[in-house]
Amino acid sequence: MYRYDEFDAAFVRERTSQFSDQVRRRISGELTEDQFRPLRLMNGLYLQLHAYMFRIAIPYGTLHARQLRKLAYIARTYDRGYGHFTTRTNIQFNWPRLTDVPAMIEHLNEVEMHSIQTSGNCIRNTTTDQFAGAAADEIIDPRPVAEIIRQWSSLHPEFSYLPRKFKIAMTGAPADRAAVKFHDIGLRAARNEDGAIGWEVWVGGGLGRTPMVGKLCRDFVEHEHLLAYLESIVRVYNRHGRRDNKYKARIKILVHETGIDKIREEVEAEFAAIKGGTLTLPQEELDRISAYFAPPTFELVNETRLDIEREKILDPAYGTWLERNLNPHRQPGYTSITISLKPIGGAPGDATDRQMDAIADLAERYSFDELRVTHEQNLVLPHVKITDLPAIYQVLVAEGLAEGNAGLITDMIACPGLDFCALANARSIPIAQAISHRFAAPERQREIGELKIKISGCINACGHHHAGHIGILGVEKKGTELYQITVGGDGTETASIGQILGPGFVAEDVPGAIERLVDFYLGQRAQPSERFIDAFRRIGDAPFKEALYGAA
Amino acid sequence: MEILTGNELLSGATVYLDRDGRWVEDLQAARLFGPEEKAAQEAASAATKATGRICSLEAETVTLEGGQLRPVRIRERIRADGPTAPRFERQHLGEDDHVSI
Repeated sequence: MYRYDEFDAAFVRERTSQFSDQVRRRISGELTEDQFRPLRLMNGLYLQLHAYMFRIAIPYGTLHARQLRKLAYIARTYDRGYGHFTTRTNIQFNWPRLTDVPAMIEHLNEVEMHSIQTSGNCIRNTTTDQFAGAAADEIIDPRPVAEIIRQWSSLHPEFSYLPRKFKIAMTGAPADRAAVKFHDIGLRAARNEDGAIGWEVWVGGGLGRTPMVGKLCRDFVEHEHLLAYLESIVRVYNRHGRRDNKYKARIKILVHETGIDKIREEVEAEFAAIKGGTLTLPQEELDRISAYFAPPTFELVNETRLDIEREKILDPAYGTWLERNLNPHRQPGYTSITISLKPIGGAPGDATDRQMDAIADLAERYSFDELRVTHEQNLVLPHVKITDLPAIYQVLVAEGLAEGNAGLITDMIACPGLDFCALANARSIPIAQAISHRFAAPERQREIGELKIKISGCINACGHHHAGHIGILGVEKKGTELYQITVGGDGTETASIGQILGPGFVAEDVPGAIERLVDFYLGQRAQPSERFIDAFRRIGDAPFKEALYGAA
Repeated sequence: MEILTGNELLSGATVYLDRDGRWVEDLQAARLFGPEEKAAQEAASAATKATGRICSLEAETVTLEGGQLRPVRIRERIRADGPTAPRFERQHLGEDDHVSI
């Protein structure tokens, strides 16, 4: 994995010292809250309903064991013994005291972490496939390029005050596990006519109050020119993006209002002007950074076959976990494990300090010291020998982390909602908990198959509800929390935005409403392998609407 | 009726202005401002801002039910009681976090 060079170490050190002084001046009264707010936000420090919230960057969702241990230490020492993993693959602490934040940042710096650019109108953490460098279907490991994007976008002087925040996601595999088409810029590995690997560039995707699927801006950009192309896009956005209306300031609105052809024309003109200049990535630099992401030294073992059906008979919980929580690995005899942070009735994405320590130990012992955070709020051990699975599973069981529900109905995304967030209109976590309890039975979850429920507590859509097969959006209406249900969203390569089927439901009625949709699907699917989203696309929204609300 | 509420600077804790001009954790101790007390409310807000120690200062509407103050907005009820899921106690003021106007 990548290690900080002298430039990274210097800017992080300087920023830490600068922010510590800003905190000191705020407490002494030299800075007012109006002066301090933008400074703390630049360092990931929000003020929420009950306390400060501190958001820490996890670049492209990749962690070493010592980094996760440090997060556990911070949770234990400065917070309330847990952290919340987010859809940007970052982590948030909900209870820090302002006076402790400088010390927390110094601890992070010790393990090459920071909180810079986790808020504000700048380029945020680039996210990618959680199975990068491991997945059997991968064309190229996207992490070296993600790291180059991190270096380019960190404290970029031209892009520190964009019209609005800016998010990039990338995938090196044809299967999109990073929701790239719902990002300001989405990058997909592609091959050109000569067979060379580069990047397909999608622009103007996003969720929030105006959900948009990204538009194809260019079908191929070579590695060496990718930064120049990204800079061209962000420059065009910085020039023309709206600054008069926060709700119309994202690039998706610019692309929608201007049209992708005109945007492409401007980007290409900018690209023509700067291509081949200082942003050209020398092959030796790409090679140098790629070396940090070289595959670990795998043991040469034979293909190891798992008899999951047999394991399901011997130990149904273990068998289900094997069936759901493994992803095919490129190396024979190895697999990637999804560690579910969605126990039945739990808060999606939360992990205790003890769990983080246990997972760090597992990573060190069984996964070449590598860990990943997924945008679906789970953790991953990317490189695990199949023969080590029983030992790992035993540890996960002991730590309450062995839910075999990856991709199933209880593996929900949920934002913190009105229980914590100052922007939210309705609670999200209790809705997730109620649905989780309703569908707790493992055999029922397996029968339903892949079904992605995503819950947001406000229109800002941090819970990605637009991209949920079933999406739930909390709103406040006349002093009551109401939940709108959408159906048909999809965050993958077949991206689509969910459709609202009708009026919202009060909280108590949401699990029943979801159950009606699920039962209708089970009765309608052509065969057991037809997923909920496929059945919805085949049948259309009207029958689902009738199942939800009754005949008109 | 309205109360004044905000978050204390050092802890971030939810606090309310009480009848003695102190910022305290207890909603039930909050000073009530009737419609005829706009001037007093504005003066209290200005004095609070001058301390620099209370952030996100807001006036919130409350009702009196069975002798207990109850915020009208759900958001404010959650601020007063703490998160409902997972259930956590609210943030508390530390020894150095007490503010008065």
